Amino acid sequence: MPSLDSDHNGSLQIGNTIAEMKKVVDFVDRFCAIHHLPRNIANDVNLCLDEILNNTISYGYDDQDEHSILVTLSITGNWMIAEIKDDGKPFDPRQSVSPNPLDGLQARRIGGVGLHFVKALMDEVDYVRKQGYNHVRLKKKLQPSD
Amino acid sequence: MDIAEEHRGDITIVEIKGRIDSNTAKTFGERLTGLIKAGRMRVVVDLKHLVYISSAGFRALLVAGQLAEESKGTLALCSLSSEVQRLFDLGAFTDLFVIYGSREEGLTKLS
Repeated sequence: MPSLDSDHNGSLQIGNTIAEMKKVVDFVDRFCAIHHLPRNIANDVNLCLDEILNNTISYGYDDQDEHSILVTLSITGNWMIAEIKDDGKPFDPRQSVSPNPLDGLQARRIGGVGLHFVKALMDEVDYVRKQGYNHVRLKKKLQPSD
Repeated sequence: MDIAEEHRGDITIVEIKGRIDSNTAKTFGERLTGLIKAGRMRVVVDLKHLVYISSAGFRALLVAGQLAEESKGTLALCSLSSEVQRLFDLGAFTDLFVIYGSREEGLTKLS
């Protein structure tokens, strides 16, 4: 179960399967509803978490073991912050390339598009590898009206 | 994500409600490729009620689009919201698909 306190942060631990990601969507929606954040903020954060977590779950582990991934949401000042901590292979999501619009339907490869979305939809993306864990921090600026 | 399907003569309309993400992209893709493999060669995907689509969803759309192209069929999209259009533009997908402003326009053009 996710923990959401009355302050401005909450956390959720999930397993390393795609099916677990439904819990993240519900967690983000609930967090944004509690803090009266607009739909577009919830959607952008959900989409970017989907891209990062899908990447980690699909490519981050060489073994077949169960792993835990920690997702933390918080609001600090004018920022909504989503953090992901996982013990997968080192991977810096800031290293992505933009898609080439000139490639046709048959030639297009999807690799990199998801991380391009993350860079475009978030205002800041930070990454650090610390003590065997990837720490990704996504920051979305809240407008005064949010 | 919910998928509703409607047939108008030779044209199949597939209406999506909700999110196409890592968790739902497989179901979405299999529905589209299943239609084409079953001989439904003219498909319009109505995205009016799509909340967002992740790269996993775009991958499913590309696979279905390629299958339609190889089968001499047409996979068209319609009714993109501005939020969804923004994702197509960011991923440089807009020019890869036939996109109509409304379902009616799609039906007219494919008839």
